[in-house]
Amino acid sequence: MAPSENTELTVYYPCKYVPAELLAGFGARVEAVSFEAESFEDADRLAHPNLCGFGKSLISFALRDDVHALVLTTCCDVMRRVYDVLSEERCLDFLWIIDLPHLQGPREVARLRRELERLARGWKAHSGTEFDVGRALASFKPPTLRHDARVTLLGAHGPGSLLEVAEASLSLPVENLTCTGGRFLPTPPPQLGRSPREAACEEACDAHPADEADPLEAFLDWYAPALLHQTPCMRMNDVSSRTGQIGATGQAGVVYHTMKFCDYYGFEYLEAQRSSSIPILKVETDGTRQSAGQLRTRLQAFDETLVGMNDTIRARVSSGPVYVMGVDSGSTSTDAVIVDGAGKIVATQIIPTGAKATRSAHRVMELVLAKAGLKREDITLCVATGYGRDAIQDADTQITEITCHARGARALAPGVATIIDIGGQDSKVIKLGEAGEVENFVMNDKCAAGTGRFLEMMANTLEMDLERFCTEGLSWKKDVKISSMCTVFAESEVVSLVADDTAVPDIIHGLDMAVAAKVSALAKRVKASAPYLMTGGVAKNEGVVTAIGQVLGSPIQTSGDSQLCGALGAALLGLEALRGEAAA
Amino acid sequence: MKAFQIKRALSEYLPDAWMHESSQQAQLLAVSAITGALEHPEESVLTSIFMPNEIFHALGLRPLIAEAVGDFIAGAHAEAGCISFAEREGIPNTYCSYHRVLLGTLLSNIFEMPKLIANCSVACDANNLTFRTLSARFGTDQVYIDVPMGYDEEGCAYVADQLRELARAASEIYGRRLDEDLLRKKVACSIRTLDLVARSLRLRAGRFVKNNMGLEMQYGLALHVLLGEPETERMARTMVRDYLTAEPFDGVNVVWSAAAPFFCVPLQRLIDVNTDQQIVASDMCFDQVSFSGWEHDASDPYLAMAERLIKNSYNGPGQRRADRLIELCEQTSADGAIIFCHWGCKETLGVSQLLVRELERSGYPAIALDGDGCDRANFPGGQAATRMGAFLEMLHAKKDAREAAEAEALAAELEGLGVES
Repeated sequence: MAPSENTELTVYYPCKYVPAELLAGFGARVEAVSFEAESFEDADRLAHPNLCGFGKSLISFALRDDVHALVLTTCCDVMRRVYDVLSEERCLDFLWIIDLPHLQGPREVARLRRELERLARGWKAHSGTEFDVGRALASFKPPTLRHDARVTLLGAHGPGSLLEVAEASLSLPVENLTCTGGRFLPTPPPQLGRSPREAACEEACDAHPADEADPLEAFLDWYAPALLHQTPCMRMNDVSSRTGQIGATGQAGVVYHTMKFCDYYGFEYLEAQRSSSIPILKVETDGTRQSAGQLRTRLQAFDETLVGMNDTIRARVSSGPVYVMGVDSGSTSTDAVIVDGAGKIVATQIIPTGAKATRSAHRVMELVLAKAGLKREDITLCVATGYGRDAIQDADTQITEITCHARGARALAPGVATIIDIGGQDSKVIKLGEAGEVENFVMNDKCAAGTGRFLEMMANTLEMDLERFCTEGLSWKKDVKISSMCTVFAESEVVSLVADDTAVPDIIHGLDMAVAAKVSALAKRVKASAPYLMTGGVAKNEGVVTAIGQVLGSPIQTSGDSQLCGALGAALLGLEALRGEAAA
Repeated sequence: MKAFQIKRALSEYLPDAWMHESSQQAQLLAVSAITGALEHPEESVLTSIFMPNEIFHALGLRPLIAEAVGDFIAGAHAEAGCISFAEREGIPNTYCSYHRVLLGTLLSNIFEMPKLIANCSVACDANNLTFRTLSARFGTDQVYIDVPMGYDEEGCAYVADQLRELARAASEIYGRRLDEDLLRKKVACSIRTLDLVARSLRLRAGRFVKNNMGLEMQYGLALHVLLGEPETERMARTMVRDYLTAEPFDGVNVVWSAAAPFFCVPLQRLIDVNTDQQIVASDMCFDQVSFSGWEHDASDPYLAMAERLIKNSYNGPGQRRADRLIELCEQTSADGAIIFCHWGCKETLGVSQLLVRELERSGYPAIALDGDGCDRANFPGGQAATRMGAFLEMLHAKKDAREAAEAEALAAELEGLGVES
């Protein structure tokens, strides 16, 4: 955020219930906070690491030299604590908190009105400015009711990076109705703008001067209910009118954002996914920019389910026999598959990704071409997928690994209804429709919980190679519960169990069951059903596969080629695109 | 349920002999209140710990406290299944474990849902989520009491109005007539009880309170669930008598803030019924007391309950909680304070470092200890015990140094007077 010209009179606010127009009436420049902290060092020191990223960013923001005035509301636990911490720090010239009611009846309107009067007095004393109703009225932005085809971003505060990624990844326009985005007030009645009578006019008029309402009083009479009666955020007790936000006219889909350590919106998502017929994608962030890479994959995959992916395929015209190459650039391995015009696998190759995705992608392409006895020019179409797909410059097109996995799984295990893919960096569950298309999918959040990396780190903690780790847990005898799926905390738990002389197979089984529980929670979110196919590197871990089967109550299929699932899917989707089947 | 009934019988007929009599009473009160509410769902009201309960008692109803359900389920080693059920339902794993346990027990139909939910906005956001979710799922009536942060007469009248509406709603839903005289008597009893509890504070200084983390939680429960009942007043009176006659204590005294992980064995070894170090007071037992009197007495019971609710040390700005902890430390001559940061409790997490800083400014060393007060699997406790152990060792060292300096100063003073020490 660029520093404002007149920073002393710029008031920042994080909540839609802050009376921005009232402050504007006093000549203040009022801006919503969209700052994303690079580091939470200050917030962790002054408050606690387990607060939501928005609250922590707000603390960092308020500590900047160019921020002088901040108005908060008691909208949630974290905002109240942000106020406490900033009050103690005395880092702002003007820090205010509005005690926001949880109810929205007439009593609460009166309460809020008193709070607004209190703020008006406080700001007037601070700024030395007078209220001008004209300025207040001029600051209102007319509400716009949208009916256009769009994707709605709902849920917890949408950080700027999330909005940017959403706008870049989705084909349709994005409407921001997150907790800080959906600020819509009605247009004020014009009579509020009438000037007070001139003294000469008063003398000539029969009406008693006392009948003349003070412009601020009149403004607040109208403004307090208007502010409180906005579409409620989740902290209000009655949120029934929020239901209209999902399934509105023109809405093609919903990206539902939850933020780590903000519980409010997880609850709404829970109810929304139960009842909504609109496609909903849940994304969770910690309020930092670092999540952007993973978000892009998910949002692009969601876009593919909303608008189809045939537009993204760019075929290279070739006169010779058809060969399509799929390259999956994952965090642990880079895989390549070449299929011929009949969809038959011609050659495959798997190599570790190593430090540079570009280099390994280039290398895997060389190796698979050599195996197939082909040259790059012989390849009709090269389709890239996986985390590093952008780095594969030699590819003709890109498709997300979600769509590719679905297609690859259909080839590896026809009839499968759900794919569980656990790779090095993420885990995902993809629910397939009757025709094998992606019906719904869910991915783990930013952290390594429940991924191959998590298991690798646990194997390291137990000083064991991964191969032994995969089987040793099968001979468990005692049920050990590992509760934390946070890699750091789980490691601490494992160390404690080792110190207690717990048998290693029992610990490994506990870890396998912890991963299985995490996968089961993801599976439930997409209403997963059998038959299941497990892909990704962790599909080789027999202990985890067995544990997932046990938790889901159904055996889990694996395939010798499951690690190639993404690359195979990419190749087959490319081939279908060439055949003009993608649209079908 | 059987386990709770057995515990109730044991508390009544075979109380632990090592306990003070008031502790035996507190345990029986807490266990009986929760077991009774679970046994009689037809006359129970689901509520949260900070809600005033005199209205329900005056109607012959039984409050079922969310936090107490969490504690008792954890006491029965059954929290893992409930939490797992709640998480499978999609409840975020960062959510308060007390509330995850409650949601797990009710959504899985382990316990029957009461006919009324009555909760207030104090002290945390979980109150705005758990009860609304349960109300929507079960179609249960919910009354929500919105509590302002700061106290003034308008705010007090605002809360009192809501409490009157709650009384009307409860009377209607359960088909019972509220005896306003009885309500006044109960509120008067609450005021007397809290006055006794406040007076017990100075008596704790230098006395062995012979408690453990579980007992502290049971005192806290009794003083919330059954405040206004004659048995609770009797318990408070016994407590004053117990401390007047308690054996001297020469160890380190700490004030405890927030929930206590009573099940955590490594911490139990450090602090439970320990002659070297003890919890001399917990702010969960002193959140409702006033050290400066009340604006309203029982003649208008609704205003009196409203005042108590708004002035609760867990309501309002964090500074209020800091001031209360400092007051507890001063009155009990504590050596330091422990702020327990229960998993998912943003109210405490967010203010924890501020509390530490404020206590230290007032001369009371303090630490913020991360853990879980309800889910033992989320809190193995080994690391926390190392931290708490080191903190207690530090307090011992400070106390020894202070006492040595005092002895030296006294000796010098006596020498100045020509007295050989």
